[in-house]
Amino acid sequence: MHKYPHWPIHLVLVFVSALMLVPFIWVFKTSLTGENIFSYPPSILPKDPHFFYYVDVWYTIPFFRYLVNSVIVSAIVVVANIILNAMAGYSLTREFVGKKAIIVLYLSCMMIPFQVTIIPAYLITKELGLLNTHLGMALPVCSTIVCIFVFKASFDAIPKSLIDAARIDGMPDWKIVFRLMLPLSKSAIATNVILAFIWSWNNFLWPLVIIRDQNMQTLPLGLSRFLTVVEDTTGALYAFCIMVLLPGLIIFLLSQKEFIAGLTKGAAKG
Amino acid sequence: MSWSVLRNRYSITFGSIAILATIWNVYVALNNDGIITGSVVGPDNRPVAGATVVLSEKTLLVTAPRARTTSDANGQFRFNGHKLYHIYLEASKEGIGLMKAKEFRLYFKGQNMALEKPLRLEATQ
Repeated sequence: MHKYPHWPIHLVLVFVSALMLVPFIWVFKTSLTGENIFSYPPSILPKDPHFFYYVDVWYTIPFFRYLVNSVIVSAIVVVANIILNAMAGYSLTREFVGKKAIIVLYLSCMMIPFQVTIIPAYLITKELGLLNTHLGMALPVCSTIVCIFVFKASFDAIPKSLIDAARIDGMPDWKIVFRLMLPLSKSAIATNVILAFIWSWNNFLWPLVIIRDQNMQTLPLGLSRFLTVVEDTTGALYAFCIMVLLPGLIIFLLSQKEFIAGLTKGAAKG
Repeated sequence: MSWSVLRNRYSITFGSIAILATIWNVYVALNNDGIITGSVVGPDNRPVAGATVVLSEKTLLVTAPRARTTSDANGQFRFNGHKLYHIYLEASKEGIGLMKAKEFRLYFKGQNMALEKPLRLEATQ
């Protein structure tokens, strides 16, 4: 068998990877220097870097308050997604009348953008008395169809004999889901955690619609408020972006192994 | 509970962040008395007594004066209890000169600061 040298492929991959990182490096560099994007000649390394733009962000708006709000909403969304999606995913692994119709309904609903349902969602949230609350902000993303299918694919991979054995031992369905299926579906949980967290963390439109109190705003709303407050936005704006990005990036990097495994399993089974 | 449960990348990462945040907050608590010290020298680099030093804060549109003090016989001055993080210092003495507002940025509100270089008055025409 003829062996091809690997180094040209590696060289191309390294180059493409470096290219993909350029926007991130650029954002980080600008957050440290405030250097205008149109400055010429462009430089890769920051000149006279400092963290004062991060200080500006911290004090110009109530950043910590927004951070806490975002964390609370994201925590609600992540927990709700794991519990509700696991239950829904489990039900789709069982046989019942109308199962196919429900799957078709789920898939059709995925094609409806959230903007279309925002008015009914607002009215329901209002009727529930959840306007201007953390729970109200979390409500529309407490269960997502993509994540239900990720759980379904993961649960499908678990041998039916295991579930039958648990059932013979008298285990109720909810215990089968939370004591048996979930511990065997760590990759699906990681996928749910990352997707739910990122969707909730970056959510702008829904909090904008239902939040009236400035103290209840989340980081994306804070970013838009920040733009109206700060005059020279270049460095501070990029610093704000880094501060908003960082938690999601950390969570993704920590869970990427399980996340990719979860998505791959979903791709193979779903 | 076994400690080995905590030896995973999640608890190590978030634990490290919590430890760093605690250390930073302790550092801030120990250094946020709002003390600014420095000295004023004339065009000839000799200490200037009785120079007026103005501490201003950069707001959205303008720099607003927040405190003023006078240098002592050795040209030393001191501000106490400021709660600012983006400041300007300017100094002047009639008959000797003026130093235009100079920007100083701090990492937290009320950070103590000792000026490394003196405020140097330039002779006015």
